[in-house]
Amino acid sequence: MMILQTLRRSPQHAYALAKSIKQSSDDLLQVEEGSLYPALQRMLKAKLVSSEWQTSPNNQKIKVYKITAAGRKRLQSNISSFEKMLDAITRVMKKAES
Amino acid sequence: MKLRDKFSDELQSEVDLHIAESARELMESGVPEREAWARARREFGNRTLVTEQSRAVWIWVWLERIWQDLVYAQRVLMKEPGFTAIAVLSLALGVGANCAMFSLADALLLRPLPVPHPGELFNVGSTRPTGTEPGFAMSYPDYRDFRDRNRSFAEVAAFQIENFRFANRAGEPVELRTSMVVSGNFFDTMQVDPVLGRVFQPAEDEVPGRDAVLILSHLFWETEYASDPGVVGRPAQINGINFTIVGVMDEAFTGPDTWVHPDFYVPMMMWPRLTQEGQDLLEQRGFRSLNVKGRLRPDTTEEQAKAEAKVLGSALAAEYPGTNENWGVEIRTEMEKRLDGSVMGPIVVMVMLMAGAVLLVACANVASLLTSRAPARAREISLRLAIGAGRGRLVRQLLTESAMLALLGAIAGLAVGYAGVQFLKQMKVVAEVPVALSFELDERALIFSLLIGVVSVFLFGLAPALRMVRKDAAGALGGESASGDRVSQPRVWMRNALVTSQVALSIVVLTVAAIMYLTLEKDLLEGPGFETEHLLLASFDPSLVNYGDEQMQQFYRDLPDRVLTIPGVRSVALASGVPGGYDLGTYLMVPEGFDFPDGEDGALMVSSRVNPSYFETLDVGIVQGREFTAADDADARAVAVVNQVAAERYWPGQDPIGKRLHYGGDTAPLVEIVGVVENMKFNFLVERSQPAVFLPFAQQPQSRADVLLKSSGDPGGLTAPLRELIRSLDPDLPTFNVRSFADTWETNAVSPSRLIIEMIAAMGAVGVLLSLTGLYGLMAYSVNARRREIGIRMAVGARQRNVVGIFLLQGAVLALAGTLLGLVLSIGTGRLMAVAFPTHNPPLMSYLPVAPAVFLITTFAALLPARRASRVDPVAALRDD
Repeated sequence: MMILQTLRRSPQHAYALAKSIKQSSDDLLQVEEGSLYPALQRMLKAKLVSSEWQTSPNNQKIKVYKITAAGRKRLQSNISSFEKMLDAITRVMKKAES
Repeated sequence: MKLRDKFSDELQSEVDLHIAESARELMESGVPEREAWARARREFGNRTLVTEQSRAVWIWVWLERIWQDLVYAQRVLMKEPGFTAIAVLSLALGVGANCAMFSLADALLLRPLPVPHPGELFNVGSTRPTGTEPGFAMSYPDYRDFRDRNRSFAEVAAFQIENFRFANRAGEPVELRTSMVVSGNFFDTMQVDPVLGRVFQPAEDEVPGRDAVLILSHLFWETEYASDPGVVGRPAQINGINFTIVGVMDEAFTGPDTWVHPDFYVPMMMWPRLTQEGQDLLEQRGFRSLNVKGRLRPDTTEEQAKAEAKVLGSALAAEYPGTNENWGVEIRTEMEKRLDGSVMGPIVVMVMLMAGAVLLVACANVASLLTSRAPARAREISLRLAIGAGRGRLVRQLLTESAMLALLGAIAGLAVGYAGVQFLKQMKVVAEVPVALSFELDERALIFSLLIGVVSVFLFGLAPALRMVRKDAAGALGGESASGDRVSQPRVWMRNALVTSQVALSIVVLTVAAIMYLTLEKDLLEGPGFETEHLLLASFDPSLVNYGDEQMQQFYRDLPDRVLTIPGVRSVALASGVPGGYDLGTYLMVPEGFDFPDGEDGALMVSSRVNPSYFETLDVGIVQGREFTAADDADARAVAVVNQVAAERYWPGQDPIGKRLHYGGDTAPLVEIVGVVENMKFNFLVERSQPAVFLPFAQQPQSRADVLLKSSGDPGGLTAPLRELIRSLDPDLPTFNVRSFADTWETNAVSPSRLIIEMIAAMGAVGVLLSLTGLYGLMAYSVNARRREIGIRMAVGARQRNVVGIFLLQGAVLALAGTLLGLVLSIGTGRLMAVAFPTHNPPLMSYLPVAPAVFLITTFAALLPARRASRVDPVAALRDD
């Protein structure tokens, strides 16, 4: 889900994606960068993202990933169900406190 | 694969880039180069794992793995060709046996009718709760009412087997052929199409005697008309009546009956013109002889149809109490009809069970063989487990090897099955109507064999695979414990027991075959009690041409003398039935004055009516009294001749001449015995001599009779003159079934025994082969497991000879155990057989050699692994572990 969210903001290549996620979470999420790759392949297979080879500013060939319409839809539904879950947990915790 | 490579390369470069970028950023923030790269790599994670996992997302990884497995499996199997060959042989026997037995079961019972959607066809029949006949036949009026009134069936058709005299053209020789009279909607009910012409139309089913049309079966069209496409519209003569051919049936449709395949079909409405009883058969409600089949409507269930049939049956019983009281109408499925009252069901079950047992034994042997290689492969497997191969992956790999074996075994098994089917085809059924036992190796058998192959993979492959990949298999890396195969004592013991019992069983089966063979040999030497050479057999039935009683008797009175006029004929016999033929009956007779024990009220005797020259023609000696003469005719005293068995049994210690017996039950007329003849065999060469009584043909004439011509030379040469003679007497009278008597006797009375012996011997041979593979597997395992021990022995001075001896001894002991067990069992079996067949009792010595022979062969099988053992390099063996 985080991959999709990050890609929604702007298409990136894998390394940039890894950096973005690390930064956004303030280094709280320590994930091995490599684990991105299988996840990206899965999303490619499910057609939630698309990829193409581009030339980077310093003339290197990089593979850029972009979110697709289906990806956006999935993200939306994931977010709403995540929010619902969060809401439920919060309420339970609040009850526990009181 | 190109796609896969491209993907691989791209992924690699992506990952390289990622790590490079990461390292660069670190360097820019001041980290030294080497450390930057190290950190970048670390933060990335396990590169190999990542690339593999990424690739695994896409499907071709699965295919790749399967392909890898296959290639590896093939390499493994090729490395040990001997082992592979033996495993494949075992499986071939298992699959082949099942394949052959399946075609037997198919031909006897399982094959569905050759029509579309055979599950929709049901049998309709009349039943009576108190009746003694098991028949299921209906009368035409009942059928017609059922057809018209029922709502469960889309179509209901009736049919009946009939023999008619068929002539291609007027003036051509008439032959008796099997045909079916069918209702007009028959082909519609069957839903089969003709390959030429048309089927019967409903209009042809309305007026009796009007539409003389006929439809040929495909086979008859091929044999009689040489597949001539212009046959439609041609005339043919059936029972002297002119018919027109209107169609030829499809090759696949052999008829609605499993056993009898008619040559042609005629409308039921023609019955009154074709036979005397035809009129009655169509009109009399009480004459029940028709088979009826109906095709169920798609929206009706079997239960509904059965319920409706009951109601209709009751209605008929109420409307026609004279003929239908207590009768009901029932619906049965095809399988129910085939199983009803016949031995087919149990036979098929028994046969399939035996085949299944053979397969299980074969699989057990192959499993044993596979396990025997476990020690050798332990290191390979442990290594692969250690570097991270999943257990499931390894099991899949091993199963792939097993699957390959199974595939090879299945292919070889088809060859074995084919041979088996060829053998089965030799079986002939003794019956008056030509019965078709069609053993085929068709798609059903092939699919069945494939299934067996798949099943067997799991039967023999799974357990060894799972065992080999066990956790403690990893211990093998560290060094094989010296205990070797002592590790799994109960398993080894079980395998020993399996091999031993296989050997023992094979010996028993082979002994049975040997005993039966020796018995047959003895009977062949003794002979059937009559002459079979130089004899030509022909049959007549003047009632087919509507001869009256007087006319028939005259015909038969004159026949022998007329036939004697043919040059080359030495004597002529006339009989109601000849040995080895289809018409010899056994009847209950009551000898006068004989005290029957309680529960018995008569003597079962073979009986036939014969002319005076019968015994002379067949070379059967007169022991007492006289044979029949021309004086024993219809006006004279009723006389009879009995054979020695009858005389000794029912008039013991007395002179049977002059004694009398009731020819039939105890109220039947008495006949006086005037002679005693030597014993003859009647139905089978190996039968026990039965009591027989003969009557003069003239005193008890009948319409159907067999004629034997004794020739001074080749009996076949008399065929044409005989037919010519009969034609000159009456061109309408058919002479049928002209054949050599020797052939008939051989086929009907001797071959069945031979066939059974061959079948049993084949089973015994299969058993021996399986034992060989079982023993081989066991020995191979032992050799592999004890390599270290062999190494030690050889290192301390044992010579190759000694090593061979050790293992040979081990194998021989197993074989001996099996042989002794088999010997004991076969002696017991021999005794049992002697009790069951008292006259056939080959001496013990003659069939005892079976056991030692099997022992030698089996021990020989242990030689190969034993020699392999001797070639173990002691240095390598000791070092490896």
